[in-house]
Amino acid sequence: MAVAAAPAAGLPPPPARVVSRRRAIRLFKISLLSPLIVMFALVLMPALLLQLYFSFHQWTVYLGTWWDAEFVGLDLFQEVLTDPRFGWAIVRSLLFATGSTIGCFVFGFLLAYLMYEPFRGNAVYYIIFILPMLTVPVVVAYTAEMMLYQSGPINDILSRLSGTEFKPAWLSDPNIALATVGLLEIWNWTPFSFIIMLAGLSAIPKEPIEAAEILGASKWRIFWEVQLPLLRPVILLALVLRFLEAMAEFPKTWALFQGGPGSATETLPIYIFMTTWQYFQISKGAAMSYIVMLMMIVIVLLAIRLLRREKQSLDKMYEQPSKAEG
Amino acid sequence: MAMTKSRRRRITMIIRYAVLSVWALIAFFPIYWIVSTSFKIDTQWFAWPPFYFPNPPTFSNYMNVWFGAEEYTSTQYAISSQKPLISLWNSTVIATCSTFLAVLFGSIIAYGVSRYRVLSDLRMFQLLMLRMIPPIVIVAPLSLYYTAVGLIDTRTGLILVYFLTTLPYAVWMTKSFIDEVPREVEQAAEILGASRWRTVFEIVLPLIRSGLVATFLFILILTWSEYLLALIITKTNVATLPIELSKYQGSTEGRVYGRQAALAVGITIPLMIVGVIIRKHLARGFSFGMVRR
Repeated sequence: MAVAAAPAAGLPPPPARVVSRRRAIRLFKISLLSPLIVMFALVLMPALLLQLYFSFHQWTVYLGTWWDAEFVGLDLFQEVLTDPRFGWAIVRSLLFATGSTIGCFVFGFLLAYLMYEPFRGNAVYYIIFILPMLTVPVVVAYTAEMMLYQSGPINDILSRLSGTEFKPAWLSDPNIALATVGLLEIWNWTPFSFIIMLAGLSAIPKEPIEAAEILGASKWRIFWEVQLPLLRPVILLALVLRFLEAMAEFPKTWALFQGGPGSATETLPIYIFMTTWQYFQISKGAAMSYIVMLMMIVIVLLAIRLLRREKQSLDKMYEQPSKAEG
Repeated sequence: MAMTKSRRRRITMIIRYAVLSVWALIAFFPIYWIVSTSFKIDTQWFAWPPFYFPNPPTFSNYMNVWFGAEEYTSTQYAISSQKPLISLWNSTVIATCSTFLAVLFGSIIAYGVSRYRVLSDLRMFQLLMLRMIPPIVIVAPLSLYYTAVGLIDTRTGLILVYFLTTLPYAVWMTKSFIDEVPREVEQAAEILGASRWRTVFEIVLPLIRSGLVATFLFILILTWSEYLLALIITKTNVATLPIELSKYQGSTEGRVYGRQAALAVGITIPLMIVGVIIRKHLARGFSFGMVRR
């Protein structure tokens, strides 16, 4: 409910005072939004338009001034779409994002489930668990480099724990390099899923769980049939946001691997970056960016649809009791 | 019966502590490792078997990296070309300014959304796109545009982009605080004749100041550690700390783990302090109205 509720339609025209008040409110609303509009117009729009220009004009930094570039129609899009490296980059990105999202979620949920009821030491664990998220991603990459070289501490510890010589080449074996980044991503961002799931679990009302307990339901059944359905919006949020952020992951992959060994860690952001800033194929990079942007917009719109539906059903659920009170 | 029940409780308790402690070790060990490496002398940086404790501990890495101390620059790992203190200043200015702008304008927009519905539910989610679309897809034309308008390699340029990319978080998070302010307060102010802007700045925002601080620190975490945009938009004049750190990667001096670690610890510690301070608010920053209390 807005403060200034509009009168019902079909009434006689309102007096001049009301009209001027409404106009003032309209102006106020626009000025509230003006910073967003200005930023869009000054920063985002020009960049998007340039992007569009470059994806239809062949230009690299070696070719004169960019505004004289040759118009090539859809050639660049064709070039990108028939580029197998681009296809592989998509596959790697999806693989990486899916794997790390699931990893973060499983560990985050497990930890949150063990933590949501208060117990001694609760606060200390919470602080330790959020620390990885507070580590700068580039620092994560260099720390990984310091720990994962073949005769480094991680392999030393794993060998001692397993009692056998366990020495995977985390950083130089093309078969596991992407998995290494995935593990780093999981280490880095499990706190995110943990925090969301913990908040979700603590926010579940106690009554349905108590009712189920009185009816003799086991913990297992309470989890599956009471808690999990109530957690659906939160679970969705944890999965969707993490997936989208993982699709954009750049700092760790770049600082640690620069796409290598070979092209084992060449995800979409890495490949776009290399095309633009190492091969200086600005136009190809722009076309590629456009395709990725459209792809991501489709994914994000789907995600938004899902999230909005959940939020609306939540809004409805929480509106009823407050109405009953009033 | 009662016995078995309390025994079962104890066993679940032990399992709980065991699992949590294992994860605590996994979460903490890399952080311990980088801190301990930053105190190690150069022969222990990548020795076999690895040194788990710096022995003897040394401050030389810190002295060398942060202050370029004379007596240490003679070693083979000496690094003199970087200027971490300047980067520290850059990072501080860029992160605080962009965060301040995001929180200021974010809270104004959030007020509009909360009280006047200037953005519909759908628009609020669409605002998140600014954050959800990978920045890599826009960064190349942005850098060309910045070159054209003279914002490339300036603090202002980076501040503007960070402001734009963190605005969605600022709006969502401050809105969750504003929603909790009862409207009666504002109605009273209106009756007393306060203008709409005065109501915002002198009544609503002061009422949620702890929320604004939490939002500020939350967004500071994002802007402080950002890497990709800084890598492309800043070049030689303005480098932020993450960029400064990544310069060691390409350096020809070989593996300089101790130095890197000393720099990395300096970058990360402020962030951890900030994060621990606002730990209770982190869920709010991430939950976008999906968690109700």
